[in-house]
Amino acid sequence: MNRFMEVLENILMPIADKLNNNRYLTALRNGFMVALPFIIFGSIFVVIANFPFLDKWISEDAYAAYQAALGPASASTLSIMGLFVILGIGYKLTEHYGGEAIYGGAVALASFLILTPQVIDFVTSADVTEEVGGVIPTASLGAEGMFLGIFTAFIAAELYRFFVQKDWTIKMPAGVPDAVSRSFSALIPITMTLSTFLVVRIIFSYTPFGTVQDFIYTLIQEPLTALGSGLPATLVAVLLIQLFWFFGLHGQIIVNSVFDPIWYALNNQNLEAFNAGQELPNIVTKQFIDTFIVGIGGSGMTLAVIIGIFLIGRSRQLKELGKLGAPAGIFNVNEPIIFGLPIIMNPLVIIPWLIAPVVVTFITYFTMAGGLVPYPNGVIVPWTTPAVLSGFLATGNAWQGGVLQLVNIAVVFVIWWPFLKIMDKQYYENEQSAENERNESTNM
Amino acid sequence: MKHILLACSAGMSTSLLVSKMKEAAEAKGIDAEIWAVAQDKAPKEMERADVLLIGPQMRFMKKKFSKTAEEVGIPLDVIDPMAYGRVDGEAVLNKALELIGE
Repeated sequence: MNRFMEVLENILMPIADKLNNNRYLTALRNGFMVALPFIIFGSIFVVIANFPFLDKWISEDAYAAYQAALGPASASTLSIMGLFVILGIGYKLTEHYGGEAIYGGAVALASFLILTPQVIDFVTSADVTEEVGGVIPTASLGAEGMFLGIFTAFIAAELYRFFVQKDWTIKMPAGVPDAVSRSFSALIPITMTLSTFLVVRIIFSYTPFGTVQDFIYTLIQEPLTALGSGLPATLVAVLLIQLFWFFGLHGQIIVNSVFDPIWYALNNQNLEAFNAGQELPNIVTKQFIDTFIVGIGGSGMTLAVIIGIFLIGRSRQLKELGKLGAPAGIFNVNEPIIFGLPIIMNPLVIIPWLIAPVVVTFITYFTMAGGLVPYPNGVIVPWTTPAVLSGFLATGNAWQGGVLQLVNIAVVFVIWWPFLKIMDKQYYENEQSAENERNESTNM
Repeated sequence: MKHILLACSAGMSTSLLVSKMKEAAEAKGIDAEIWAVAQDKAPKEMERADVLLIGPQMRFMKKKFSKTAEEVGIPLDVIDPMAYGRVDGEAVLNKALELIGE
């Protein structure tokens, strides 16, 4: 067993190392972190705007006015989250290279807008479609533009750095204020970068795709998100999170850096449908993972383990751990349990540790597919939100979401129970024999 | 005054440890500033720290942090998983002081 674990760790550690020290993935993760406060702000207002039963209490007109008044909050943040991610990536990548980060962010944003469609088809009547100019479809700034935005931000930041390094800058004579000369020094690299993207846009307008956005969407984003929304890919992601954590490596942060673009894109598709009052397309979204798989006490749903400790724990070690882990566990911080139980490198717990999340993924997926629980509606619930409340919020204020989490906790508890019992017995016996020894030595 | 910096993924779980370390420092009468940050903020915060301790779940970041630590000239290490799990403030504080070299 030890040999096997050693081999496995030798495989996983370099993967974790590569994924975390890759500058693009780091910029991507940090880019999402920039967007997160805005995403959560928008989410809060989606929740408030769709308060349960409100549509039954007040008149239809008043309800529509209420929703319209709150609408801009999420329309300007959550729905167009791509913009903030792009700005964040451009900023963080340029900062990584030691350049003027704010220009890196701005140039990434402008590059993306250059590649974005700037007309929409407006259906005036059944068979007349008019092309309206002077607009940017918000869908292309949210779900549809996610992948293009990420790639554009990477490339724009790289080009900007390349042109800055070429040093084709306009040199200002001494005595010109620093800020003035800085604004000029950014001019040539920005002009070169944006011109490149403009050329790309023009070239694409002669292809059947029309826009780069369509090209990336059809060729990369659609297949990837279709794959990512399926059960097999989700199970792989969930198992990887668990496996990394088993070796004491932060599973989500490693897996998220690859899956986040997919999960967020799926999430925004649901949000768009939700706002339009249409049927939600995806079960697996960012919130499916964060709320129903990770959000029950943290990775591995350890809230159930803490409850188990309180119910069956006899050993002092587990009782202490329960007291220590419970307050943090309620808010989905579970490092005390992972390192204290311990879960890491503990052959006894690897079975429930890997099995429970897989079972919960199945249950969550099929209860949603079967219509018992609504799909996550696209709001982003902060990951520190306690279970039951988070399930309620993530499914668009549906009590079924909270109940599903309770069911999942019960399932995890049952899977863990025999293993926890064995562990507790071992600890208890060790404590007893240690105490007996101490008593004997004092008697002598 | 000792400046002890802890880093983990979001600065959440290490902040739990920070409060225990502060208690331990107070009990020992050591004047120390102890704080936790998310990993992306760590390189910047290192400038005003005497030592960096990394959460064991982020130990794959050690190599990356080592570069900055060398530039700033401070020692760093990964927190012992057992001490981390037990939120053993005293053990981690002792480790930090040992690294600073006192």
